[in-house]
Amino acid sequence: MSLISEEDRKYLKEEFGKNLKREVNLLYLKREKNESEYSKQTIKLLEELASLNDNLSLTVENCGDSDRMRIEGLTLCPSIKVKSERNGFINFYGVPAGHEFVSLIEGIKDMGSDNLSLPEDVVKGSQEIKEPVDIKVFITLSCPYCPGAVRTAHQLSLANKNVKASMVDANYFQELSIKYEVSSVPHIIVNDKKSFVGNMPPKMFLDKIKEALE
Amino acid sequence: MDFSIIKTGNDSKKKHYSAAIIGSGPAGLAAAIYLGRSKVETAVFEKVVPGGYVVNVEKIENYPGFAEGIAGEKLGSLYAKHAEKFGAKILTEEVIGLKLNDKPFLIETSSGAYSSDSIILATGTSTKKLGVPGEEEFTHKGISFCATCDAPFFEGENITVIGAGNSGVQESLYLSRFAKHITIVELLDHSTAEPILVDRLKEADKIDLLVSHCVVGFSGEKMLNSVEIKNITNGEIKKLEVKGAFIYAGEVPNNELIKDSLELDDRGFIVTDERLRTSVNGVFAAGDVRNTPLRQIATSVGDGAIAGHEAYKFLEGIK
Repeated sequence: MSLISEEDRKYLKEEFGKNLKREVNLLYLKREKNESEYSKQTIKLLEELASLNDNLSLTVENCGDSDRMRIEGLTLCPSIKVKSERNGFINFYGVPAGHEFVSLIEGIKDMGSDNLSLPEDVVKGSQEIKEPVDIKVFITLSCPYCPGAVRTAHQLSLANKNVKASMVDANYFQELSIKYEVSSVPHIIVNDKKSFVGNMPPKMFLDKIKEALE
Repeated sequence: MDFSIIKTGNDSKKKHYSAAIIGSGPAGLAAAIYLGRSKVETAVFEKVVPGGYVVNVEKIENYPGFAEGIAGEKLGSLYAKHAEKFGAKILTEEVIGLKLNDKPFLIETSSGAYSSDSIILATGTSTKKLGVPGEEEFTHKGISFCATCDAPFFEGENITVIGAGNSGVQESLYLSRFAKHITIVELLDHSTAEPILVDRLKEADKIDLLVSHCVVGFSGEKMLNSVEIKNITNGEIKKLEVKGAFIYAGEVPNNELIKDSLELDDRGFIVTDERLRTSVNGVFAAGDVRNTPLRQIATSVGDGAIAGHEAYKFLEGIK
């Protein structure tokens, strides 16, 4: 049985058809030896997505394969990185199911197009960031407020190649959640040091990132 | 794992609508359905996800037609699909400014600017803060306002829920699947939840209800580790050792956008007449944000229908 309903498949085909102007690759880096139900379901989901458009492909590798994580700029395993020739770091540590499924779909559409839904002043403001920034957005799959924060972080990455942005499933990466004292989501960690909580308009989100860099 | 899509848009090139609805909860989307069926070009602005606060409710049991209950997320999604079917455009953009002193009305969002000939405000309410020491400091460091979002972080922990109304009791029942023990703290000498919920509360062995108590402070080091409560009958103060506190002690209207431009009641809710007209011609209010005697999904849907119909009549009148 398909993980994506027939109605949603039809909708996604249309959306990908309209938006995927260039090739997009979904790179799934999984834990070695771990053919858990979690991993199998993730692969099945990504296969279903990749079958919906000729410009969308899937690559499955192990996190330990020949320095793969370092090359991709990843620090946690498993991850799904959405890649294309477009600059931008759209990444998911854990599976973007539940409310986060929309973040994955929007990320695919963004990487396959030149879409950027940030207001102009936020784009300009983001380009003032000259140093490398790593944004991790901790979420739970049942949090309706979280996709907004994930999407804003990913959009900032598209606006400025110095910004890396990843969703982190707080339940899957429990030890990390404890380390960063995550007790409410979305919880945003900047460069593994500073943090703030909540979904907010892009301008305010950018200001918080800049504050964290001071 | 669930993989289903709630369709929303934020790539709209259209910048003027006949009707703009602020908020996509039951009131906003019911209004959108009525306006859509009246062939009125309608935009619905939503900052989180279609369905509004409803999507946070695990199971809704008092909405007619769903005797076995329906997940809030599912109901929100059904509302959104229904509104879109009749032509409403749902835009996931937060409205950050409204100008109501001239027509067309101007709407500033997190992504751009729009205008409209009529507006329906369906912005709902937010949880009321307690205003006690430590609340700001430990918000998001143990204090939470969203059980569905944050419950997993309190697996096996002692927690408290502030408020024993419908929301407090319903969320406590949900949280009891995760927490080791829950103490509900209620200011009144009884729970104001529906009797059917109170019965379930009595049967729940992990939940205690402490009535006639109020919270006087939150404390901890980096994270919350205790809540100070006061017995309002004898003034005695004691400490609850808890890692989490979920606050459901009343609600305040989300009126920031219009508080200086519309008539409000003494608690800040928008004053409307029976046709849901506000003090500004062409602006209507529906659902929890207005001065209504009952804040429920069913009443919000009814409000949405009236507001949608009245906005249509208003627009017809000016054509």
